[in-house]
Amino acid sequence: MIIESILLVDDENLFHLVFEDACSLLDISLTLESVSSADEAEKMFKEWMNEPDGKPEVAFIDLNIVGSSFDGIELIRRINFQYGNGVVIGIISSSADQTEISRALQSGAQFWIVKSDDIEPRLEEFKEDYEGYKNRSAAFKVYK
Amino acid sequence: MKKIQLPAHVCQELERVANDHKVYLEGNILKVIEPVSYDTFNEYIELAIENDTKNRKKRLEITKQIQKQNKELRKSQNENDRLVSDIKRALKEAEEANKSVASQNEKLMSTQSENEQLMADLKEALEKAENAKKSAESDLDLIQKKTQFELIGNIVSYALYVIVGTGVITTALYVMAILHGSTETTLIGNTWSNLFGILLTNSFSIIGTIMGVKYASKDEPKSNT
Repeated sequence: MIIESILLVDDENLFHLVFEDACSLLDISLTLESVSSADEAEKMFKEWMNEPDGKPEVAFIDLNIVGSSFDGIELIRRINFQYGNGVVIGIISSSADQTEISRALQSGAQFWIVKSDDIEPRLEEFKEDYEGYKNRSAAFKVYK
Repeated sequence: MKKIQLPAHVCQELERVANDHKVYLEGNILKVIEPVSYDTFNEYIELAIENDTKNRKKRLEITKQIQKQNKELRKSQNENDRLVSDIKRALKEAEEANKSVASQNEKLMSTQSENEQLMADLKEALEKAENAKKSAESDLDLIQKKTQFELIGNIVSYALYVIVGTGVITTALYVMAILHGSTETTLIGNTWSNLFGILLTNSFSIIGTIMGVKYASKDEPKSNT
């Protein structure tokens, strides 16, 4: 199953390229949009409340987004509790801090992918689990 | 998602461009093209996907390499920033220490100046005290001398009264004895003569003593011998 559209929120522009190529090579998604700040992503979700065209199926959000007013977990909380649900949403971060993972779970994140040089195996694993996230049957999972 | 079906002439044109110029469709558009009934275009699509995958893999590797180098650079930069921060902090501490030392030096200089002033005042006070002591000693000496002179003066006065009195009484006795025609005039005369000689001798002795004392008590500069 291929995901039609993905939104990546990450302050590291080089990772945008890595993620896009990895998703394309693994046939994970057809389209991918990348933004560099949580504020920008929040604005997009606000607009999608009225006009859902272009709303992504999945959102991968970095934990610490430099240059943003709030962190990735807060963005997930706002998306889930203020701008409506319906998006498979999770964290993609180089951190694997247990406290932060618990916070993410409480804010409504469905998964946590630990960023590393070799991201493809984790994305492949995520792709296999995606159906469960989409129909809300899969439990929260950390991809290490 | 519904896939797209390309018309035959578009497929042929795409194949022609690929054959002539090695230019292929690339990207995710290849994933949404419906396979067609003729094999050459399907082969074209397969080749385009293969090329695209190859290019993406290559790009991914390069991007990852750059990302890795970036991370190392960022780490080095962080380390440099930390070192610069440490150096700045050390410099600031050194400057503060310098300021503190300068301030302490200033205080010490001020204290030293005050001490010097105090020393000068003390010296002056000591000098004044010594002068006062000398003056007091001199005054005491003067008073002592004055008292001595007064005493000597009294002694001399009484001695002179006694001498003059004795002289007058003896002379009067001698004169009365002569006038009354006494036979003891020889004895009285010798006695008067001896007594007068003794009295004169003693008088000169006293006067000499007084003169000597006066001469000795004069304030004359002492010789170094």
